[in-house]
Amino acid sequence: MKKRDFSQLRSMWSEFRRIKFGMVGLALLGMFVVVVLIEPLIVPFPDAATRWRDMTYWVDNPRNAKPAWVNWFTSKDYAPSARIQSDNIVSGEFGAGKLYQAELPYKYSWDKAPSDVTLRMNVTGNARYEAEFIRPDGLSVTYQKTSQGAGTRDLRISVAQNLQPQLYQFAGKYEDPRVMQSTSASTINPLAVLFSQAEKGALLSGSKPLDGTYTVRVKVVAADATSSLNEAELIVAGGVQGVLGTDNMKRDLWSGLIAGTKWALIIGLLTSFIAVVVGVIYGVTSGYYGGFVDSLMNRIYEIFSSVPLLPILIVMSAVFKPSIWIMIAMMCIFFWVGPVRTVRSIALQIKEASYIEAARGLGASNRRILMRHMIPQLVPYAFASMALSVPGAIVYEASISLIGLGDATRVTWGQILQAAFSSGAVLQGIWWWVVPPGVAIALMGMTFAFIGFAMDTILNPKLKTR
Amino acid sequence: MDKERILEVRDLELHYFTRKGVVRAVDKLSFDVRRGETLGVVGESGCGKTTMGTALLNMPTPPGRIVGGQILVDGQDILKLSETEVRRRVRWEQISMVFQGAMNCLTPVYTIEKQMKETLQQHREMSKEEAKRRMVQYLNLVGLPEHILKRYPHELSGGMKQRIVIAMGLFLEPRVVICDEPTTALDVVVQAQIINLLKDLKEQLSLSFIFITHDLSIEAEVSDRIMVMYAGRIAELGTNEHIYGPQGPAHPYTQRLMAATPRLHEEVEELAFIPGTPPDLVEPPSGCRFHPRCHVVMDRCSRDELPLREIEPDHLVACWRCFNE
Amino acid sequence: MSEPILVAENLTKWFPVKRNLTQVMKGNRTWVRAVDRISFTINKGEIFGLVGESGCGKTTTGKLIMKLLEITDGTLEMKGENATHLRGAALEKYRREVQMIFQDPYSSMNPRFTVRDVLMEPLEIHKVGKDAKEREVWVREILDEVKLSPPDEFLVRHPHMLSGGQRQRAATARTLMLSPSIIVADEPVSMIDLSTRAEILHMMRQLQREMGLTYVYITHDLSTARYFTDRLAVMYLGKIIEMGVAGSVIDRTLHPYTKALIAAVCEPVSGKVNRIKDVPIKGEIPAATNIPPGCRFHPRCLYAVEECWQEEEPTLDDIGGGHLVACRRWAEIERLGAAARTSEASLGTRKSSFAPSA
Repeated sequence: MKKRDFSQLRSMWSEFRRIKFGMVGLALLGMFVVVVLIEPLIVPFPDAATRWRDMTYWVDNPRNAKPAWVNWFTSKDYAPSARIQSDNIVSGEFGAGKLYQAELPYKYSWDKAPSDVTLRMNVTGNARYEAEFIRPDGLSVTYQKTSQGAGTRDLRISVAQNLQPQLYQFAGKYEDPRVMQSTSASTINPLAVLFSQAEKGALLSGSKPLDGTYTVRVKVVAADATSSLNEAELIVAGGVQGVLGTDNMKRDLWSGLIAGTKWALIIGLLTSFIAVVVGVIYGVTSGYYGGFVDSLMNRIYEIFSSVPLLPILIVMSAVFKPSIWIMIAMMCIFFWVGPVRTVRSIALQIKEASYIEAARGLGASNRRILMRHMIPQLVPYAFASMALSVPGAIVYEASISLIGLGDATRVTWGQILQAAFSSGAVLQGIWWWVVPPGVAIALMGMTFAFIGFAMDTILNPKLKTR
Repeated sequence: MDKERILEVRDLELHYFTRKGVVRAVDKLSFDVRRGETLGVVGESGCGKTTMGTALLNMPTPPGRIVGGQILVDGQDILKLSETEVRRRVRWEQISMVFQGAMNCLTPVYTIEKQMKETLQQHREMSKEEAKRRMVQYLNLVGLPEHILKRYPHELSGGMKQRIVIAMGLFLEPRVVICDEPTTALDVVVQAQIINLLKDLKEQLSLSFIFITHDLSIEAEVSDRIMVMYAGRIAELGTNEHIYGPQGPAHPYTQRLMAATPRLHEEVEELAFIPGTPPDLVEPPSGCRFHPRCHVVMDRCSRDELPLREIEPDHLVACWRCFNE
Repeated sequence: MSEPILVAENLTKWFPVKRNLTQVMKGNRTWVRAVDRISFTINKGEIFGLVGESGCGKTTTGKLIMKLLEITDGTLEMKGENATHLRGAALEKYRREVQMIFQDPYSSMNPRFTVRDVLMEPLEIHKVGKDAKEREVWVREILDEVKLSPPDEFLVRHPHMLSGGQRQRAATARTLMLSPSIIVADEPVSMIDLSTRAEILHMMRQLQREMGLTYVYITHDLSTARYFTDRLAVMYLGKIIEMGVAGSVIDRTLHPYTKALIAAVCEPVSGKVNRIKDVPIKGEIPAATNIPPGCRFHPRCLYAVEECWQEEEPTLDDIGGGHLVACRRWAEIERLGAAARTSEASLGTRKSSFAPSA
């Protein structure tokens, strides 16, 4: 029995292979599965799935950065994000403490300055530090500060936030005094000043970009023996970043999208699978037995199909701890009604076929007739129905997320979309925040539709051209 | 038997252009229909008999197309006429057709009167009274009383519905009526009544019929001449006497079909049958198309292109065995 | 030879007609009397024919024998054991004994099944054979038996890849899988082309001889019934009105209805074209919900006299030679017929009214 089932599957596969769109669907599904499997290898932020809402995780990223490949299509290139780690920190005696020195070179050759450049230093104990930003033309800007405290911690010097006064002064040297009167340190774009020619107009971001190697020279004076500089890193938050850019919370959207893939698969497949299996069995049973059983089952069906799902989901999410599993369970409880009516009418039709009568004449039990003769005929429909309810389940999940009742511990496509809508991404033209999750949902739906239609062609022999 | 020929078909060819290839459903068919006679067309399913019927109305079912030949009505080739002209002057006016299962195609939601009137008014402009008079006249002709007009199809028996469909086929006084399996779904008694009706109409209106069926026994009852088709071609065409007379048909296919037909009043130990299945008309067998199933096949049957020859007056056969060479 | 295998006594099947609300309130209950107290005996190894027009109850009778429908009244006995109402193991045993061939071999096989699946099914249902391997050996044997060879080629085909004749062979093979005693064949050749019809009947008859099968052959076609069956029962409106040896029923017909049926049959002989067929019957079949009183054929009978509708329905009586007829006037009609034949010879072609009296 089992062995024959395999041979049946094999012959089904050999037929499936000949259907092009089926293979496309299968390839897409394969792609999704591969993406889920190799997720840690292809995302720059492997903890995206678990720390999606943790602001500190994303702190070094640019805000609303475009995807990196946008540069291929624009005449003026945006600086991409980059990280420069200092490979050698030179240390020497300095009084009671130590002097640490490091140099971090950054090669700049773009048209539009990055949105921020941050120097991150990992220090222990008390330290006085100084960062000198040396431009390719030899000019430099310096920032100094003392940090006191115990333990190891990260110190950050952000050009955008901390170097505004210095850069205002720096550029002011070339400006008209009148211009200086009408502006202040807080109104300029310090990054644009840092990365452009030192000339008149630089203050208002009007001058040409200055290409070349910028060097950040770091000096840290550790006050005592217990203090030290452990690490220094230059983080360039570009105007473009990664495969899909970032959102307004600085989150890397590519990482989020990939992390959402497995949830989309789980929510979509699990919900539609359970719902369709239940629905098909329910519909077939109702249609096959008929009479009183049918009437009773119809009434139950009507109750379930007339109860609006969303309010129930909202109440349930409020009552229970918002969890993706509870959400899937709730969707199953209401999604199963989807295929029932069609399945029942198909069952009523099949029931009249004379091969059902023939099977009864042979002594087949009701169970056998249902399982062997009726349900297999519904497989194509079931697949189509599953394919159709996969996107539905994903969208419902997104809707719940929209009212803030989603499972906050997971990243889903719905939640990415919801965040985009609630922060007006469409109005602001942040298309890379909206389009990819939308396309992903559509692609996932298409995958299952293609596979469903291909299965239909195979399982319905009359469609076969032979 | 030299009556006026009212329909002449010359080398009619109809092909179905399917994905599997070109199906030569009707292949160079030539025959004629004379005034006041019934021409029977017999053959197995898929031999092209129904296809030929629709071709005579110049309305082949897609993907079928008439690719050659002539259909002459009063000496005029209707295949050369435009669609509007065919519709106005030929179809239903000269040649009409009672389709297979047409009696099940009466709309259940309208009365018979409404459905009949629609057919009538599509072709002729006439007053209400005139239309009514005509409907009653034709109902009476097919043996139905006037009150049938007020009935709905589901209130009528199969035989009555078949009569109505036949009446509708006669409305425009055509000269040739093509009947495709008009008795197949009916019980024997009703079938006999319909056969009697057709015979009576033929006599009363000196109509010509083309009677298409798969049943040789029915042809014996209704047809003056019988055309036996096999795989889109004529196997044998002869008078009732030629086919059913004591000497029996000439073509081996007809002979075998005849031997396969069970007789009511004869004790037959073993009926004959024809082994194999009808050929695929995408790639029909060479030479005589019947040769792979024939019991008296010769070498040249598969080799030589087969003509249809008259072996005696009004008796045409396509078989090398029957030619005196 | 004449050892009874299936005995039906007053077999009855009534179907309730769906009622509307007022009818339910009034308590009216109408029934379709599809099969109305029929009795017959089928002997082991014979081919028993049930003929009649559509709606005469022949298919319902077949389904009652198959136990696809519950028997309303009367008894059914198989091999001497009561089989009127069966449950559980007894029903399972009965199902192995009685099999059915359906009219349309295409729709009687699941289109998704291959021939292998179709033939394995009865074995799987009844758990015959210890594993798939052993079952397949039997499947191949039976395929060989119905001349579907080579088996390898046919086992993997779906019903739509078979020709009409091959399909009916496969359907026949399925009924043989459980080595039954009785096969109910409901119009097995009516959907098959004439050229292969005889081939199927021939095969069925050969199997019957080899395996000692008993057939119940249901058909509307008197000519094949004559050719194929040993004994014949003619049904009209749920009742058997004439029964006997096939040749005798057809050549020496007694009941006026059977006479009409036989007169209506077309035969492939010359010289009938210009003659109107004489079918001695009037009217149309009444609805099975409204069966005429007395002899149920009387409204259509040309010989009906007052006693036919005033008195009780005539019983099916043996008039000798195993020929049974349910008509109280059969002897008189015979005499009238003989007289008419002599007078008709002088009158020449007789014309009958072919219009149904509506």
